[in-house]
Amino acid sequence: MVFNSYTFIAFFLIILFLHNLPLSWKTKKINLLLASYIFYAAWNPPFILLLWLSTVIDFFVGRALYTQENHYKKKMLLIVSLIGNLGMLVFFKYGTFLLENFVALCNAIGFDYHPAEPNIILPAGISFYTFTTLCYTIDMYQKRSEPVKSLLDFSLFVTFFPHLVAGPIVRPPQLVPQFEWPRKASLKQMTDGLLLLTLGLFMKVVLADSMLSATANSVFESKDLLPTLDAWIGVFAFSGQIFLDFAGYSTCAIGVALCLGFVLPQNFNYPYAAIGFSDFWKRWHITLSTWLRDYLYIPLGGNRHGKIRTYFALMATMLLGGLWHGANWTFVAWGGLHGIYLWIERYLKDRRHAAHSHKEPSDTIEVRRHPWISFFYALLTFMLINITWVFFRADTFGKSWQLLQSMFGLVGEGKALLTTLAILKVSIIVPLIVLFHWFMRNTKVLNVAYKLSWFWISLVWSTLVLMIIWAQESGSSFIYFQF
Amino acid sequence: MEKKSLLKSALLTLVIVIFVIGSWEIYLRNKGIPISYDDGPPLWANNRAMVYEPLDDAVVFIGSSRIKYDLDIPTWQNKTNIHAVQLAVEGSNPRPALEDLANDPNFKGRLIVDVTEGLFFSKSGPLDKTLNENIKYFHDRTPAQKISFFLNKPLESQFVFLNKDYFSLNAKLDELEIPRRAGVFMMPLFPIEFSHNTFERQMFMTPEFVVDTVLQNKVKANWAFFASLGKGAPPMPTAELDAIFKSVKVATDKIKARGGEVLFVRTPSSGVYLQGEKIGFPREKYWDKLLTYTNCPGIHFLDYPAIDHFVCPELSHLSRPDAIEFTKHFIDILEKDKNWKLTNSNKLN
Repeated sequence: MVFNSYTFIAFFLIILFLHNLPLSWKTKKINLLLASYIFYAAWNPPFILLLWLSTVIDFFVGRALYTQENHYKKKMLLIVSLIGNLGMLVFFKYGTFLLENFVALCNAIGFDYHPAEPNIILPAGISFYTFTTLCYTIDMYQKRSEPVKSLLDFSLFVTFFPHLVAGPIVRPPQLVPQFEWPRKASLKQMTDGLLLLTLGLFMKVVLADSMLSATANSVFESKDLLPTLDAWIGVFAFSGQIFLDFAGYSTCAIGVALCLGFVLPQNFNYPYAAIGFSDFWKRWHITLSTWLRDYLYIPLGGNRHGKIRTYFALMATMLLGGLWHGANWTFVAWGGLHGIYLWIERYLKDRRHAAHSHKEPSDTIEVRRHPWISFFYALLTFMLINITWVFFRADTFGKSWQLLQSMFGLVGEGKALLTTLAILKVSIIVPLIVLFHWFMRNTKVLNVAYKLSWFWISLVWSTLVLMIIWAQESGSSFIYFQF
Repeated sequence: MEKKSLLKSALLTLVIVIFVIGSWEIYLRNKGIPISYDDGPPLWANNRAMVYEPLDDAVVFIGSSRIKYDLDIPTWQNKTNIHAVQLAVEGSNPRPALEDLANDPNFKGRLIVDVTEGLFFSKSGPLDKTLNENIKYFHDRTPAQKISFFLNKPLESQFVFLNKDYFSLNAKLDELEIPRRAGVFMMPLFPIEFSHNTFERQMFMTPEFVVDTVLQNKVKANWAFFASLGKGAPPMPTAELDAIFKSVKVATDKIKARGGEVLFVRTPSSGVYLQGEKIGFPREKYWDKLLTYTNCPGIHFLDYPAIDHFVCPELSHLSRPDAIEFTKHFIDILEKDKNWKLTNSNKLN
């Protein structure tokens, strides 16, 4: 079920009620686990079997990995776990894609091969819970943390409904200890959680769905060449939509968990105020980028084996990160473009470091002293990020190229598509998002809220709630569910 | 971070939200605006799920807006004790719905297809979009979406402001009617008095609309706008038209082969609209050929004196009193002329 639905409101009220009853902690955890299964089954009940399978395999394999001393057996156990987790992911998410590419390859080399088209349904959130369980297995293999003691706690760690289908991608040490002792939200946590839930729903329902999605969809689904204005507005609309949709989900998830007394990691930190691309990836989908850093970039060598290896690790991480988002070469291109941006940034940084070798190198471009120059760099980063969204959102390279041509005026006059109202919506909302990110880049929304008087918080909060009600846009799925 | 909570703010927020929503609702009710259900995919899918009732218990309707206005469902159900499952979608070509039902092996019931020639005989394209989205939603809908629909129903039954087409944020922004850019299509707006929708998916115009020629002229202007879009377009090539006939026959044959029944109906239009339709879609080339080609029975309103005289306030749809009259006569024609058994002794739930 989605957070922006009546079903979720009813579900959440029941869960809050049960969680605040004077029951034993074990009973409350069982309630949360059952609720999480119901939350997941509300999409497609049979897929809950996959979740169980993944949970059970990783719990027992993880424990065995931790205690196994025989190096060969340990490796075998890791392989079993990887096959179990990645096998499911590859089959359900990449099965059709792999087959299509295999067929294309066969046809290219002269074999006339036309298999029946598979009809594989993608289980919601499989990429997220696979990464959640995968990091546990790898941690056990490397003895980075202690194995989870009970199957109940492990199942709840994997399945806990706020993060289950679209993150934040949690690590065992971030969540498992929270299941060990009774937890109930304090009044402060409850009201903070409700405020975050409202904010997340506002981002998703009012801004992403009601204001931006139709414009982004019409531009990306248009078969015609478009005027430059329409093309840019469509890309800006998607840029706003993807942030508001996904960050909205994460904000809801963090808020919901907080209402139950649990703390989930932050997933977004005003990414459109990023100065440079390293900074962007420290602010966008933070739990994925740190996952990729710890379980892919560093094992590939990171920056410890010379420049060439660092550049290779960067690009490989970004390409695989792109592929994680979807079974399409356009996602790989999206990751590749980010990889190129990071290469260029790293190259410039290395050159600057060589020129000023007395200074400590830093991972991100330094924030310039003059705020306007910093803001210019942030805007430049934002504009370049917009180019990458073209590949992320377009279904094919043909469509991506067509849109890029329109954006950069490489075609004659295109066919105007967007209404004046649609252009106005995007032209007002997207710059406001960028400005908001800029002014909030070094703080957090709750910190700002607590600086306001209680009366002003009420005015802002009630405006958010009223706008959600007024939008009347309940029930649409979140973009990241398809990943 | 501060240790104080936001409880005071939360309570004031609750008061403000209840006050504003309550005031808005009272204001709308005082204006005499009736309850209208959101006719989106969830409501359509809810009706679509009812098509599996036994042949004697339900009749399924597909088509465009005319059958949604012209078939008065309470009258139909009172007179026949048979469910009227309304699946028509305004402004749409009903062929995708026909194909969906034909390809559903569990549908073995009775189907009435409303034919508005300009839509029924159109090429696949934008006119199919809404209906195709509804069909996809029905086949893909999740248990959570079904529950949300049933939780939403009591709310929509009580609150006038929950009318997405007229009172949502986007609807209000659309009402600003910001001038369009040259060459950009903008869907014209219909007055609220023309477009109310019941839970059974019957549309109706209010009594104010029936007497207000200004409102009627607004809708007539919209019809003229839609007609202008097709002006100058070449007639559909014979091969394409034949392909449509063929696809319709394939679909109706599938339903009949399973024991189902299919009947076509041409509901009333009037004035210049009807004249234009007669010129654009000559009866012998479209309606008559449709019946002959598919070997299905049909009811054309001009063939029956009991239903040939209605005057549509905005040229294309019946007012509610006329819809009641039309429905009574329509049932009579179905029973007497088409030998449909339409009286069910079982009481409807």
